[in-house]
Amino acid sequence: MSRAMSIARRMANLLHRSRIDRDIDAELQTHIALRTEDNLAAGMSPEQARRDALVRFGNRTATKERVTATDAALLISTIGSDTRYALRQLIKNPGFALAAILSLALGIAATVSVFSVIYGVLLHPFPYADVDRLANLSLSDPRGNIFDAEFTGQQFRELRNVHAFEGIATWDSRHLTVTGHDVPENAIAFFGIGETFSTLGVPPLLGRNLGPSDSPEGQEPLPVVMLHYRFWQRHFNGDPAVIGKTLELNHRLYTIVGVTRPHFTWGWGADVYLPEEATQGGGVVVRLRPGVSLAAADAELQPLLERFAHDRPHSFPPKFKVDIRSLTYETTRNMGGTLYLLFAAVAMLLAIGCSNVSILLLARGTARRHEFALRSAVGASSLRIVRQLLTESLLLAFTGTALGVLMAYQLLRLLVAWMPQGMFPPDVAIRINVPVLLFTAGVALLSSVFFGLVPALQMAKPEIGQVMQSSTNRTAGSVHGRRLHGTLVAAQIALTLVLLTAAGAAVHSFLHLLNVPLGYDPHNVVSVGIPLQENTYTTWEARVNYFEQLRASVATLPDVVSASIATNATPPHSGLEQRFQLRDKPSSSPEAQTARVHFVDPGYFSTLQVPLLQGRTWSVAEVARGASLVVVNQTLARRYYPNGDIVGHAIKLSTLQGASPNTLTAPGAGDWMQVIGVVGDSLNDGLDHPVRPAIFAPYSTLVWMGTQILIRTRVTPEPILHSIRKQLAMVSPDQQTYGIIADLETWIRNEPEWARGRLISALFAGFSIVALFLSGVGLYSVLSYSVAQRTNEFGIRMALGATRRHVLRVAMASAGVSVGTGIDVGLALSLGLNHVVSAWVGITTNHPLIVLSVSLLLLVVAGLACLVPARKALSIDPIAALRSE
Amino acid sequence: MAKNDLQGTLDLLVLKTLAQMGALHGYGIVLHIQHASEELLRVEEGSLYPALHRMEQSGWIASHWAYTLTNRKAKYYKLTPQGRHQLRRAEESFDQLVKGVRTVLRYA
Repeated sequence: MSRAMSIARRMANLLHRSRIDRDIDAELQTHIALRTEDNLAAGMSPEQARRDALVRFGNRTATKERVTATDAALLISTIGSDTRYALRQLIKNPGFALAAILSLALGIAATVSVFSVIYGVLLHPFPYADVDRLANLSLSDPRGNIFDAEFTGQQFRELRNVHAFEGIATWDSRHLTVTGHDVPENAIAFFGIGETFSTLGVPPLLGRNLGPSDSPEGQEPLPVVMLHYRFWQRHFNGDPAVIGKTLELNHRLYTIVGVTRPHFTWGWGADVYLPEEATQGGGVVVRLRPGVSLAAADAELQPLLERFAHDRPHSFPPKFKVDIRSLTYETTRNMGGTLYLLFAAVAMLLAIGCSNVSILLLARGTARRHEFALRSAVGASSLRIVRQLLTESLLLAFTGTALGVLMAYQLLRLLVAWMPQGMFPPDVAIRINVPVLLFTAGVALLSSVFFGLVPALQMAKPEIGQVMQSSTNRTAGSVHGRRLHGTLVAAQIALTLVLLTAAGAAVHSFLHLLNVPLGYDPHNVVSVGIPLQENTYTTWEARVNYFEQLRASVATLPDVVSASIATNATPPHSGLEQRFQLRDKPSSSPEAQTARVHFVDPGYFSTLQVPLLQGRTWSVAEVARGASLVVVNQTLARRYYPNGDIVGHAIKLSTLQGASPNTLTAPGAGDWMQVIGVVGDSLNDGLDHPVRPAIFAPYSTLVWMGTQILIRTRVTPEPILHSIRKQLAMVSPDQQTYGIIADLETWIRNEPEWARGRLISALFAGFSIVALFLSGVGLYSVLSYSVAQRTNEFGIRMALGATRRHVLRVAMASAGVSVGTGIDVGLALSLGLNHVVSAWVGITTNHPLIVLSVSLLLLVVAGLACLVPARKALSIDPIAALRSE
Repeated sequence: MAKNDLQGTLDLLVLKTLAQMGALHGYGIVLHIQHASEELLRVEEGSLYPALHRMEQSGWIASHWAYTLTNRKAKYYKLTPQGRHQLRRAEESFDQLVKGVRTVLRYA
């Protein structure tokens, strides 16, 4: 009760701060006046009387401050003045403040943004209910390959009865055409049985999800469609009244029943969802019953799938094992190494940032010991000083954190833009992860508060007199303090070296990637994907003619230099790896004799500007009849006919027989084919692998359910893409193009190695430059502080006859030890981690030159950081240093 | 265990003074302690005023402004019932302290 009263009174006091100040002042004034009166009465002179009263009283301001300090609630208003004082202190030392704030901000920004990507892409890419119970039904073979298991309609129904599963979601995709507009549009459609959406457990944004009633058993599914948010935005401009309207796909009308949420990732980029079951073969995601392990589900499923395999042997790999894997397995496999590596890097950056702030605060705190001793001597309580320091640390930490959060948003945007595509679902939600933001900000706050308070805690020990009596702040710093600084600096240098080495290796391998000779000219060439609808152009002649008509139609555009048909032959990843035989050189290991097989037309080589080295290419008539004539690349020619006489010999492609009803082959496609020419090597196995042997056959040899047309344009291709689409639609009004049409330079940039290389090398380079800067600043501040601390000692040494060089050596010795230890540890770590790192990101070039040059770079920066303090130590005037005592 | 430090002793001295003398201002308290202790104890002004304010915040003493004999405005402190209670406790704890210290000193 009285406690509450007391607090209430204090709170009331808070509102009357100035009145209380006046009261205290008046009270102390009275005291002095009364004492003076008594002194006068005792016979002192008036002046003497007053001076005695004042002396007895001591420092009136200090007393007043201590009286005020008893008002705990007045703390709040002291915070205001503490903050103002702290601000003044920081503005007085802008270099210190800036370095500390930047250290924190950069560490926080990097950690938060990279972790946010990791969270969005790896840890939580699928926004489904109970996602940890969802798993992909996959198979593994004895060689360790992982396959998605594929099923047909009846099998789905049997899978539904498996006890371990609570529900199943099925998927199968096809390209459909959005018809009824001037240019047909491609739509990636995902099919699945009615249970799919309820298994995923995600409510729709608009309308309703597809459900079991949309595909009644034994009947045609209803003509309804669900739109993906992205497609809804693109095609309907996000029209909220879209439910109940119709969408025309392949000339059939579908009623729109729902729109998904924006970050719905089912189908990795699907546009529309239809309630049909897969007839050819569709994959399955299962929801496990609570408590059922993956292994238990594997075991239950194995006999069932073995029966399926017995019925349809070609849809299962030989000697397979059921191997159900968590949904995130694939994204983790694709991006896990890269992202965890980046996370390790940013964690190091955060560590460097925090230790830098610690160093700065420690150095400054120790330099200010004298100031605190003085304040303490004139009456400031140690609590007061602690509070003061705390305010300064918090001010730094909060400013740094705020800046860090702002920078994190910017950095995240950059990261998202530079992420390799196709390695994770395109719709994943990547946003700032709040728990990590709080955690990192917490780490930053704690480390700055802790290290900011170390000097204050030292002060709290009653050694004020000692500090005061040791007269100045210029004696040798304590051994303990110096060891802490040295350790922090060495740790910084070690981490920086690790970052630098990794950055050097990443940049090196990315530069290598950039300078890889392509063997073709990607500039102003676009690849246009042409999918065919099912049950169209079912004869070989019709399909070959159709492709040629499309090509010729595009070629008539004035801005098109050349257009050519290239089935599965767009570099830098092109062709199908297939076995082949040479008629006069039977292979000893026919299994291993493979080449990249491409199906192209004669214009392909000129469109890509791949040189013809020997012989000739096909005539139009030869392509039209699917002549058994092939062109090979230089690698193949050299490997099998080192004397350069391959032209005229014969090759057979063993797997050219039509495999499925959708693939049509030329008459006589399985015969011996004569080599008529040799072309230069162009990349066909990605940017970071050597060119594989390649065989080029006329595109008419084998026609699939689609092809690509490569088009070289006179100008940048973007403006004429619409005309290209129109030219295609002139041939067939329903002919859409496939996905995004991009030029071949973009294709290169979208190669996983390229995009990953750019991401890793840019970020590592950025991070290591920041780390280098931070450790430079850390070293500089430790050194200049220690030189300032030891001015007196150096003065004595010089007065006793030490040479300047000797003083320099003493001054730099501790720095040398820290830097040396740091570099040693860093080198050991770099070399030790090299194996791990290269396994993660495929950087194999850890050239000793890189390690050497980054160590040198680090030494140069360390040298620069030492320069100013060294000059200061050299310029100490012994007389002045001693007199300042 | 009572709070047997110097601060506690100052509190005790002030409370006892106010209990014996009624209302006094800060200077009066200093003089009284000096006088009553036969010049053995001298209260530091720098410690007295914080202590007075703390005890006032705790509700042990109450204050009012009044005029001194020489017609100066001064702040007078007097004991509250709560303060009287606190004085009793402080006296007991001080007795304990003295007894304890003495026992230690006499330990042979």
